[in-house]
Order: sequence, then C-alpha cells, then structure tokens
Amino acid sequence: MAKCFALMGWSLPVIESMQKLNKPYVVVSFPDFENYAKENNIPFVPYQFDEWSDTSNSLDLHEKLKAFDADVAVPLFEETVEWAGALNSIYRDDPRVLNRAFLFRNKAMMKRKALIGGLRVGLFEEVHNKEGVKAFMKRLNQANLQIDGEEDSWVHIKPFASAGAVGHRLLRSMSDVDEKCQDEDFPCLAESHLPGQEFSCEAFVHGGKIKFLNITEYVKLGYSNFIPEGNLLHGKRDRIMKEMQKLVDLFGIQYGMIHPEWFLTEDDTLSFGEVACRIPGGHILELAGKAYDFDALGAFVLCHDPSLTDEELKEILPPLDARPKQFYGNVMIYPHKNSISKLEIPEELKEEPYFLDHNLIPPMTTQKVSDREGFGNHFGTVNFKGEDPDRMTELLLHYENVDFYH
Amino acid sequence: MVDQTLTENNNQKLQELLNEFSEATSLTKPEKASRLMGQIDVLTDSMEGYSLIYNSIGDISEAGIFENSPWADPAKLVAALVNGTLKSGHPNSTIELLSELRLLAIAKGDYKSGKITAEEANNFIQEVIVANLEFVFNEPLEETRLIMSDHELHKVHNLFRFLSDRIHLDDVKETLAEELTLICEQRPVVTEKQRKIIALVKEKIELDPNREEDKKLLSFQRCIYRPTKNTVGKSTEQYKKLLLSLNNTELYLEAQEMSQSMLEYGLVSQYHAVLLTFLIEGNHLQTVPVCMGLTPIGETRWNEHTTYLSDIILKTVHIYNAQCIYGLAKMLENGVIAREAVRSGLSNLMSIKIHPKVEERILKSTKNPHQAVSARQYLVGALFRILGQPLGVGQGNNPTCQSARGISMWSQHAPAKLINMVQTAAVTNDLSFRFEGQEIKASEIGKGLVQNLDHNLDAVSVTLVPMLDRVYNEMMLRGSGRAEDPHKWVNPALYGQWIQIGFASAYDYFSNAIVDFDGFVKVFYAMCHPEYNGGHHLIYPNPVGIFITSSKGDMLGFHAVSLLRVEKDPTGQYRAYFLNPNNEGRQDWGQKIKPSVFGKGEKHGESSLPIHEFAARTYAFHFNDLEAESKLDNIPLEEIQKVKTLAKDSWGKSYTWLEIKKKW
Repeated sequence: MAKCFALMGWSLPVIESMQKLNKPYVVVSFPDFENYAKENNIPFVPYQFDEWSDTSNSLDLHEKLKAFDADVAVPLFEETVEWAGALNSIYRDDPRVLNRAFLFRNKAMMKRKALIGGLRVGLFEEVHNKEGVKAFMKRLNQANLQIDGEEDSWVHIKPFASAGAVGHRLLRSMSDVDEKCQDEDFPCLAESHLPGQEFSCEAFVHGGKIKFLNITEYVKLGYSNFIPEGNLLHGKRDRIMKEMQKLVDLFGIQYGMIHPEWFLTEDDTLSFGEVACRIPGGHILELAGKAYDFDALGAFVLCHDPSLTDEELKEILPPLDARPKQFYGNVMIYPHKNSISKLEIPEELKEEPYFLDHNLIPPMTTQKVSDREGFGNHFGTVNFKGEDPDRMTELLLHYENVDFYH
Repeated sequence: MVDQTLTENNNQKLQELLNEFSEATSLTKPEKASRLMGQIDVLTDSMEGYSLIYNSIGDISEAGIFENSPWADPAKLVAALVNGTLKSGHPNSTIELLSELRLLAIAKGDYKSGKITAEEANNFIQEVIVANLEFVFNEPLEETRLIMSDHELHKVHNLFRFLSDRIHLDDVKETLAEELTLICEQRPVVTEKQRKIIALVKEKIELDPNREEDKKLLSFQRCIYRPTKNTVGKSTEQYKKLLLSLNNTELYLEAQEMSQSMLEYGLVSQYHAVLLTFLIEGNHLQTVPVCMGLTPIGETRWNEHTTYLSDIILKTVHIYNAQCIYGLAKMLENGVIAREAVRSGLSNLMSIKIHPKVEERILKSTKNPHQAVSARQYLVGALFRILGQPLGVGQGNNPTCQSARGISMWSQHAPAKLINMVQTAAVTNDLSFRFEGQEIKASEIGKGLVQNLDHNLDAVSVTLVPMLDRVYNEMMLRGSGRAEDPHKWVNPALYGQWIQIGFASAYDYFSNAIVDFDGFVKVFYAMCHPEYNGGHHLIYPNPVGIFITSSKGDMLGFHAVSLLRVEKDPTGQYRAYFLNPNNEGRQDWGQKIKPSVFGKGEKHGESSLPIHEFAARTYAFHFNDLEAESKLDNIPLEEIQKVKTLAKDSWGKSYTWLEIKKKW
C-alpha cells in the first residue's frame, strides 16, 4: 500500500476521488493553486514545472515530497509525464522508468519503438521546415503512384510532445503546407494519413499486465466519442487486447494507465497512432466511469502503486470481460460563428431520449470567439446515453454540426 | 403515452444529475451544479418539467445548490430584485426560479426551512408575482423583449404560470386595480391582457363588495361578467329570452346601462352583442345609439346610415366577437364611417374569400376561436376596432413597431387605403408597395425583422404585419449605403405622402458620431413646439425614432413612435403626446423619465412626456425643411442644454459626440 501518492498536476475531480477513497495524497502543481489548496485543506507542494535549474529539478522535488512520505508519482497531464517518470525512477530505483517517460514525450521516438516491436505504423519522419514536409509529401505521392492531376497524399504534422490535438494539422496538398504551417511548428513529426475507424484504448496496467481495458470509439477526433466501443470494434476486442499487451510489453510499462490511439483500416489491419500515459482528453475517463460504473480516476491513480494487491485491484477495476448495456457518449461544442451573443438549446435535443445533460453556458454579452489552436477551446459538452451504439454515432455526428451559439 | 415516457425519462436524468451533485464534494460541486442547472433549464420549457423540478426542490436545496450564493438564506431575499435576475439569463435565471420554487414549497408546507415560515414565504411570492405581471401575462415590456431570448421568456412565463396556479393573491388587489386602470385607460385594440387579469382576479381572489378597495376590481369584473342587473346569473341564451319580455322603456334603460358599462373601461361583454343584435333584429333602431353609448354626433351618423350599419352589424357582431362594438361606436363618433370610401371598402370586405394562410393566422390570433364566427367576421371586427381606436394599435411581442405605427397612421388619415390594403392582404396573402419608382412585392422579397410572429395581436395586424414587416425591411435594404439613415426615404414611401420631406438625425453616418446635437434639438423644437414654431399644431403624426434606455438610463436599442401633438397639460407644462405601439403603462427610461399614459392630459392610447424629456430620447424625425430655417434662432439655450445633458448622460455614453455645426 502506497504511503502517499504525489499527484502531478491540478485536477479537482482526481483530488475528490482520492478524498472519497480515503487515500493519502499530495498535489504538486503551479503556485497559482496554492491559496485554493490551503483554503480547502488540500496537501500541496507548489512547483514550477516549466522551469529546470539548480533549484527546480526532480531531486529537489523529491526532497520536498519527503515531508509527505510520497512514494508513488502519478502524471495527470502531458507536461508532468517526465516529472513523474523521474520521481518514480527514484522511488522504484529503476532508471529506465524515466527513459520510458521520455518515450511518451517524443512522438517520433515512440513510433520508432513501436515499429521495432512489430506494430504496424504509418510512414513518419521528423521534419525541420516546410521544405521537409513537402519532400515527405512528395515521397508519399511517389509511393502512392500519383498520376499528374491527382490529389496529393494527406500528411499530418504534430509537435513531438503535445497532448491530443494541440498543434495537430492535417495537410491535404502542397499549397496547404504553405498556408497552414507556421515556422514555429518546427521541428515536428510528419506522418502519413491512415484512413479508417479511429479509437483509443485505456489500459489499466499492473505488474506489466493489462488488468482492465476500456475501448473508446472516436466518432470524430476532437469532437466526439463514446464508451464502450460499438459492435464492430467489440468484435475485434481479442485482437486489440493482444496488440495492446504487445505494446505494454514493448514499452515496458509496469504500472499505471496507457492511452494509445489506433486505426482500424478497411482491410482490417490495426495501425498504431500514438500513446500517452496521462489522463486522456475528451472526458474519456468520465464516460468510462459512468459506462462501467467505477471510479475511473481513482483507478487511474491507484494503478500506479506497485504494492497494490490483486484484491484491491479487483475492488477498484471492472472485470476484464465486462460489457455494459448502456453507451455513454459526448460531443464537444464549438461555436460555428466568429461572434456570438446567445445560446440556443435546439428543441430536437430536448426531446431526444438519448440526451443526458449539457454544461453549456450562454455568452455574457456579444463575444468574439478566439482563434482555434488545435481544436480550440470547446464551450462545453453535451452528453448522451442509450442502448444502441449506431444511434449514438448518428447523434454525435449530427450534433457536431448543430450550431448552439448564435 | 409518449409524453409519459418522456417525463419519466426526464425525471430519471434529473435524479441522476441531482445524485451526482449531492455526492460531489465542494471541489467538483460547481461543475456538477452547472450540469444540473443545464438540465433544469431544459425542463423549464414545459409545465410537466416544472412539476418535476418542484417535486425535487427539497432535495435540490438540501444538496446545496444555493450554498455560498445570495440565495443561501431564504429569509434574506429581496422580492424587488427577482425581476432583474430573471431577465439576466441562464444560469442566473435558473437559480432564481429554483429559489421561487423553494419558497413555494415552503409556503405550501412541502418543504420546511427553519429560516422562514410558510406565511412569510407566501407573502414573498405574492410580492414577486405583483412585481412581475409582465411575465404573469406574458406581455413583456420593451426593455425585457430586447434583452431576453425566446427560450428565457418562455421559461420565466412558465414559472409564473406555475406559481400563480398554486398561490392565492389576496394582498395584491391594489396593484392589480392600478394595473387594470392603466391598461384600460389606453383603450388598447387587443383586450386580452385586461381580460386575463380580470379572469385571474375572479378565479383567485375573494372580493367583498362592502370594502372600498375591492369595489374597483369588482367594477372591472362587472363590465365583463354582468354588465347590467338583468344579466346577473344568466347565460347569454337566458338573457336573450328575458329581452323578449321587456317593453320599449325597459329596453331603453337596459341599453343605457349596457353602454355605460362599456364606456367605463372600453370593455364589451358578450351580453352586449346579444342586446345589440336583438335591438336591430327587433327593429328597435332608435334604441341602438343608446346601446352603443353614442353622443349626439354619433347618433346623427347612425340615423344617416341606419340601413347600412344595421347590415354590417348583423354580419359581423357575435357574442364571441363582441369587443368590436366598442370600436364601431368610436367609428361613429370619429366620423370615419361618414366617408363614402370607407363604407364602400367595408361593404367589399363582407363578401371576400380569405386566403387559407391568412385565415390560419387570424384564427391563431383569436384566443378561443368559435366555429360560429368566421375568420372574416373576426377580421372585420378587428377593423372596426382599429378604425375606431387608432391609438390603441399595438405590436404585441413583436419587433414590428414600424408596422403598428403605420396601421395607426393609415387608420386616422387614410382609412380607405387601410381597408383596401387589408382586403388585398386577406385575399392574396401579399402586398405591394412603391419605393422610388420600383415595385416591392412582399411575396418576392426576403425575410423581415420578425421570424416567429407572436399572434397575440388583432386580426388586422396578423393579416398585414408579416407583409408590412418584409416590405419595410426591403425598403431599408434598398435605402441603405447612402451615408444617411434610410428612414429618410423609407418613412414617406411606407407611410404615405403626408410625411414631411425634411429629415433630421442626431446620428451622422459619415463620422459615426452624434453631430451638432444643439442644432438637432433646435430643429426639433422648431418643428413641434408651439412657442417656437409660430404657434402651430402638428397636422399629421410625425414618425420619430427614439432610443430605448433602461431604468438606469443605459442604451438598449431603437424604437419607433409617432409624435402626435405638443400641448400644455392641465398644469401648464408643455408635453409631447405620442403613440407608443408597445402599449406599455409603466415604463422607466431612467433619469426619472417615465412616460405617462393617464392623468396628464392624454387622450386614450396616448403616452406623454414633458417635451424636453421626449426630445432627450429622440434621434430622428421628419420636418418641413422649407419652413424650419427661419425659426431656429428662437429656441432658448437653457432648454437645449437641458435636453443635451439628459441625452449625454444616458444613451449618449454609447456614442462619440462632435460639436461641429452642420446645415440642417
């Protein structure tokens, strides 16, 4: 049993879960949160995560955490993955834990590792400027036997170390490269486009074995997803499980949760996209928690604890073969206009039996919508719940295009 | 059955969210509250939804929705603040309605709070209801209409339906009597609002005829439910039978009593229709003027056109269409009926076939359409009312002040043109206008300002307004981009040739500022103020654009009124008397500027303000540009300064002001 979990990053729902589970914890985050923590009796260590110096480093943080008897570090956000890796290396006396953390923070390295281990990945390359992207696109065109006048092959570029859709751009043509790429995007990872059904897995790993696997079906990346997976993906669950365990073995994951993204292409092959080891975006754990009726955030934290017993694991995780009857999905709502003044919940939504709730708030006055970075900040989510995954898909696709803000 | 499932489903969701909210610690309560409130907001669309929320209000309150908010302590709430909060939109309006539901539950004994007794809660809700009559009767004020979305209006209206269905209203008599007086004094064409209040009083409040404060409310009830002694306790059929037993003298007295009842508040009862048609059918024609409460002038017109009028009365008046009797009486008084063109126009209307779409709108605008009354009868009845009470025309809950203003103007100065327009619109569901030599046809142009017409209007307005609104909007489009307010050209084209050619606007399109406001005020005074315009009266209504300001004086938007006359009130102060098509009694435009509708020399339907206060909200009007120039130097500087200060300290804050002089 861990003496104290060091939660790396600020998340109220995670703190709440720890309180409810009655587990010892300390939150490490930016000094901005210190007052709130004090007022609410939250054990807290302020730390400037974006600073590395003689006085701000993992050894220093390790010292500071001694007062709390911390022995397990849990990365909540992308930016804290190395910090948690460094601390856990010390706690477990295993330098490779830190190296693995670096693996999660460099998408090119991550792909190469996957490739070496026999996972199928798309074509990828590190690029350093627009010319590099164009050269990459050109080689893809050649490989795809492009004939004059045919469309260019699609290329994605992503920063090496950002969460989810941040900085992710889809380039459909050579001219897109000129128009959409900014100098500050580079260096980054360029990869070929994989068509097909995209989904993510959330594998709760303990002692190097997957103890629970959630599959999240993406309806549209950055907009909508639902849990558990629909029937098509469910039919492939055994294969997915095998590939997942392969990934876990390959990356040497012992404890925690990994969240990779996969593509299932039409010719029925599974391709690896990328993997993270923090709390996934898109409210995925919230949906998983509802669908499987467990404390997903609590389980996320506890899985990081090597001393957790099998009994304790069983208590906190759903059975490996659970298949919920109800599907939970959500769609993130972005305004479609540049200037908005009111929120209108459509009548059809109010009458929709699958509609669960929303947390959209009307704009205060006429409001300018700021430019989107990645997929930008969504204004809230609309949640659905129902028994038919096909109907769920239909609804999520539909509401992605409904304008809630006018 | 489907509704049942939907309700059950909604309830489950509510309970699920409520559960999550109760189980959350203070860390995630705000996020869960936001979801719970979102769901409650959705539920407020229906009365069933309100019932679901009400049934859980104890749990919602216990779960801590009010904690750490101004609503935490039910004993410390202020009824006067409710209106403002309800107008401020979700989530504020949602927490506010929860607070009202909690108080209702306390008042009804469905929920206990140590902080406040059932009686105190009951009193509080009564206070809230009185302060929010605009929502109770779904007649939002202009300000409210500008700031609230349709959904929010609907939600708040539902709240008050829910509350007033469940609470007694004993302590609000005085306010209701005052409200009724203010409405009735304006003699609106649409009488639904006063009838609703009177019905509400009858249903919800015990009145004692011996008590002074109850007498006024009883007199309103009498007008509708038992206008004469002979009607007491009788149905309209029984009343008709009784009339057969009356001799001529008794009939005369009955007619007198009936008309007095009508003239008191301008409200007509069903019995009145029975009596009037009885008199005509029974050939008691000399008693008809008494029955309509006519003056000798009106009586002369009746005598001149007896056959004609008898005919259109029998073809139009019905117990379910009785209110038009008042309009007809006023038509006889104001002389409209004396015009040959008007009589021909009305005769033509007797035989038209109404377009199905128009018929649909007319029946939708009628509160309880009765199959014995045709859409044509409703339409002609409404036309009587418009022609008899031109200042009673209202826009309902629609942003169509322009159209309402037009109908009122035509009714006074081009009644036959109006009748002809009604006929064309009713038969073809279309209208065409000339604008600068080109034809504009309503059916061939884009949308108007109003997307969903509120049908709480008279039958003439529902016939015309959808088209007028589109035509007006199209004219505005064609007149825009000329670096001047398009109303300069649109007003004369829409309303007619009597609109003056000169046009003054305080706002200068070119510099995007208020330019030479001093000069603007001078032209205004020279146009209408008898002391500075050579002692002249206004001849035709002047279409004036005004700024609508909040009770704090903040700029809210634009509005169209007609300036009718500028004259001394009974105390000797010069006032502007104007038509405000939004039919509001209590308005507060900030800076203590509160238009009056009654008691300051107003005719029925007029609003009024001291002239300088009216000038301080005006931004555009028409004037005779050939005559004005010679009069501009007579206007005293103090008066201009007074207007300017009021303007600058209110809507003026939203604009840049330039002091350069310009040629008017």
